[in-house]
Amino acid sequence: MTARASKDVVLRCEDIAVAYGDVQALHPTSLAFEQGKIHVLVGQNGAGKTSLARVLAGIIQPAGGRFWIRGVEARETNVQLVRALGLDIVHQRFTLPPNFTVAEALELVSARKYAGAFYSHRRLAASWLGELQQAEMSVSPNARIRDLPIETIQSLEIIRALAGQAQFLILDEPTALLSPGGVENLFSRLRQLRNAGVTLLLILHKLREVLAVADTISVLRAGRLVLPPSDIAAVSEQQLSDLIIGEGATGEAHAEATSKRMARDSKAVNLALANVSTRQSEAEPALAALSLEVEAGEILGIAGVEGNGQRSLVNLLTGLMPAQGGALRLLGRDVTKLKHHQRRSIGLRVVPFDRIAEGASLSLPLWENVAIWKAERFRRSRFAPLRIGAMKAAAEKALDQFNVQYESLEQPAASLSGGNMQRLILARELADSPPVVIAAQPTRGLDFRATQYVWGALRRLKHDGASIILVSSDLDELINLSDRITVMRGGRLVAEFAPPFEIKGIGDSMIGAMR
Amino acid sequence: MSRWIRSGIRVVAPIAAAFILGFVLFASAGYDIGEVINGLWQGALAAPGSAEQSLRWAIPLSVISFGIVITLRTGEFNIGAQGQILLGGFGAVSVALLLPDWSPYLVIPLALLFGIIFGALWSAIAGFLKVWFNADEVINTLMLNFIAALLIQWVTTGPLKDDATRGETASTPRVDQTFRLSDGAGVSIELIAIVLIAAALAWIIIERSPFGLKSKLVGSSPRVAAWQGLQIKRIHITTYLLTGAFAGLAGALEVLGPSARLVTGATPTLGFTAIVVAIVGTLRVPGALLAALFFGGLQAAILYLPIVSRLPSSGLRIIEGLVALLITAQFVWLRRRHNRRREL
Repeated sequence: MTARASKDVVLRCEDIAVAYGDVQALHPTSLAFEQGKIHVLVGQNGAGKTSLARVLAGIIQPAGGRFWIRGVEARETNVQLVRALGLDIVHQRFTLPPNFTVAEALELVSARKYAGAFYSHRRLAASWLGELQQAEMSVSPNARIRDLPIETIQSLEIIRALAGQAQFLILDEPTALLSPGGVENLFSRLRQLRNAGVTLLLILHKLREVLAVADTISVLRAGRLVLPPSDIAAVSEQQLSDLIIGEGATGEAHAEATSKRMARDSKAVNLALANVSTRQSEAEPALAALSLEVEAGEILGIAGVEGNGQRSLVNLLTGLMPAQGGALRLLGRDVTKLKHHQRRSIGLRVVPFDRIAEGASLSLPLWENVAIWKAERFRRSRFAPLRIGAMKAAAEKALDQFNVQYESLEQPAASLSGGNMQRLILARELADSPPVVIAAQPTRGLDFRATQYVWGALRRLKHDGASIILVSSDLDELINLSDRITVMRGGRLVAEFAPPFEIKGIGDSMIGAMR
Repeated sequence: MSRWIRSGIRVVAPIAAAFILGFVLFASAGYDIGEVINGLWQGALAAPGSAEQSLRWAIPLSVISFGIVITLRTGEFNIGAQGQILLGGFGAVSVALLLPDWSPYLVIPLALLFGIIFGALWSAIAGFLKVWFNADEVINTLMLNFIAALLIQWVTTGPLKDDATRGETASTPRVDQTFRLSDGAGVSIELIAIVLIAAALAWIIIERSPFGLKSKLVGSSPRVAAWQGLQIKRIHITTYLLTGAFAGLAGALEVLGPSARLVTGATPTLGFTAIVVAIVGTLRVPGALLAALFFGGLQAAILYLPIVSRLPSSGLRIIEGLVALLITAQFVWLRRRHNRRREL
C-alpha cells in the first residue's frame, strides 16, 4: 500500500493498535473512511472504540500503526498537529471550562487565530458572535458555560471544532447525555454538515440511533474490527446485533427469572409523596407541590427531558435535599425529616445517576464498595472490632449473586468495566431484596447485554414485590419496564400514561411547553 | 508479596533520591560530603547515645503521625499538629502542676487524658469551622499553630511562669519527678509501651472500625459517601478530634518525659515532620511506625551534625523537605498514570 490514498478517502489507518499496560485495547486495525459521509462505529463497552478515536485525535500514543488524514501522515501524537491536518474530536465528557464565558472558552480551545495582539472582552465576544449566528444558535457569547444546558454545550463543542476548519469530525457518544428531542436536533445538524462536505465519525451505542443517522457502519468487538465500514443498507439489524455481541449470545438470558417469593399485598403503597415542594437547585427548577404513589410490585417510570427536576426528585426521595412542605411516606412511616441513612435503614435503596461520581469509589476495593454503608452490622457489639472476614464474605456473596466479573475482592472498582461496575452497584443496593428502590438512569452508557441484565434485575425485584421508581431519559427503557409512566416538566408531573404506551404522546408531553 | 516489594520501592526510591539530591546540593555549595555522611551515621546510630536519641524522637513522631494518617485518609489536610502538641503539653503540665500532692498513679493518667482532650479540642476548632462554614482547614490549622504558640508564650510568662528561669526561653516549673515517664534522654519502657498501645488503638480505629472504613470512602469519593448515607460531617469532626488527640498525647508525653516542663518554642517542627512520616508510612500504622524510626534518626542527626560538620542543621531539613516533595510528586504521577489506564 502507498501512503497516497485515493481521492475519496479522507482518513486511512494502517495497523493501529492500542495497549494499556498488559491490556490490548485495540488489536492492529486497518480501515479507511470516505469523504462526505456519516460513518458510525459501534461496539460494546471496552471494544476499543474510544481508544481508536483518541489515537486519531492525537491524544493517546498508539502501540503501533500509522494513519493519514487527507493523504498526509500524522507522524506524532499531537492534538495540535492533527487539528492542523483537519481532524477534530468532540469528547464524551465535554472539555469546555465551566467558569469561562462562551467566547472565552471557544477562543481558548479553537485552532482559529485571533486577529490582534491583545484581547478585549468586546472584540472577543463580537468575533464569536458571527460563528454562533452562522450555526443558528441563540446563546450569548458572554454566557457562562456552567449555566448552559448540555445540548448547548455540545453544540458549542461542535462549533469550536468547525471553526478550526475541521474536515473530519469525530463525536464520541454524542447522544449519551441528550434527550430524545436533542438527539434528533443533533442528527439533523450532523446531516447538514455532511451535506456541506464534512466527514463525520460517530461512536454510538443504540442501534435505533445508528440506523437513523449512519451512511456507513463499522463494528468493533473486543478490540478487533469485525465489520469494516459498510453501507448501512447492506447490513440488517439482526446481523448488526450479532456482530456487536458475538456468536451465540442470548441477550434475554437474564431478562425473566422465576420469582423467589410471592408479591406482597399488591395494594400496599410503599412510597408516597404528598404535595412536596423543594427549593430551586443550581441546575433544575424547583419541584412544585408534587404528589405520587408507588404500590408494591410496581415500577413507576419518570420520563422527561433532562434538567426538568428529575435530579431534585431523586435527591428529595433519598433525603439528600430537604422538602419544603408536604409529606413523604416510606412503608407507611413519615420520613420527611429523616436523613438518607435513616431512610436506608427503613428499606430505601438507590442506584444513583452517575456510576463513577456517585455510585462507586474507584480507588476503594470491591468489598469495601459493597459493604461499607452497613459496616456497623459486622460487629459483635458497639465497641468490638469489625469482622472483616464476614464483611468480605457478604460482599462476595452479593457480587456473585449479581454475576460481577472480578479476580479479587481487593481489586479497586476502577478496574471494572462500566457494565460490571453497574452490577456491583446493583449487588450493593439490591442484594437484600429491598422494598423500595430508586433507579436513576440505571443503564446510561451501558451496552446491550449489560442493559438487558439491569432490566432483568429490576424486573425480578418488582416480581418480588418491590416498589421501584425508574428515572430515565431512554424512552425504550421506560416503556419496556414501567407499569405506569409519569412525565416531568419544569418541576411538575404533567401527565401520566398507562400501557399500552404510546411513544409519540409521551414525547409530546415531555417537550410540551418547551416548543 | 510483589505488592509489598513494589510499595517498598515506592517509599525507598524517593528517599534515596532526596538524599542524593541533597548531597549534590551540599557538594556544589562546597561542603565535604564524606563529613556529612559520617555525621549522619554518627548522629543517628553510631555515636554513643545516638541510637537512644533517634528513638527519643521517634516516640513523639510516631504518635503524632497516627493522627495524621487518620486525617489524610479522610482527605482533610490538618496541618495543625504543631499547635495541638503544645496544647497537649499545656493540658498535661497543668494537671501535674495543680495536683502536686496526688498519687502518680492518678496524676499520670489524668495528665495524659487532659493532654489528649486539649489537643483534640484545639483541633476540633478547625473541624467545626470546616463543617459549619466550609472554612479551609489548611489555613485554619496553620493559623491555630501560631495562636497556640502565643498562648503557650503567655502561659509560660504568666499564669504558669517558673520564677527560677531568667533569659530568653520562658518555661513552666518542672513537673514533680514522680510524675515523669522517663529521664531527660526521653526513652523508657513506659513511653515505648504507651506508643505501642497508641499504635494498636490507631490500627483498630483505621482498619477495624466502621469509622475507619467510612472515613476512607469520605476521603476518596465524598459524593459516593453522601449517596451511601454516610454522615460526612460527623466523620469529619471525629477525624479532627482523633488527629488532635494523638498530637495532644504526644505533647503530654513530652512534658511527662524528656522535657519535664512546657517551654516556649519547644519541639519546633515535630508536627510538620510527622506529616512526612505519615506519608512515607503509606498512610498505614505499621508503615508510620517504621517511618518514625527513620525520621527519628534523621532528627537526631540534625541535632548532632553541627558538632562534627560545618553543615548547619537546616541542611538536613532540606533533605526532609525533598523527601516530602518527591513522595508527593510520586503520588501525583501514580494517580495520573492510573487515570490514563482507566480511560480505556
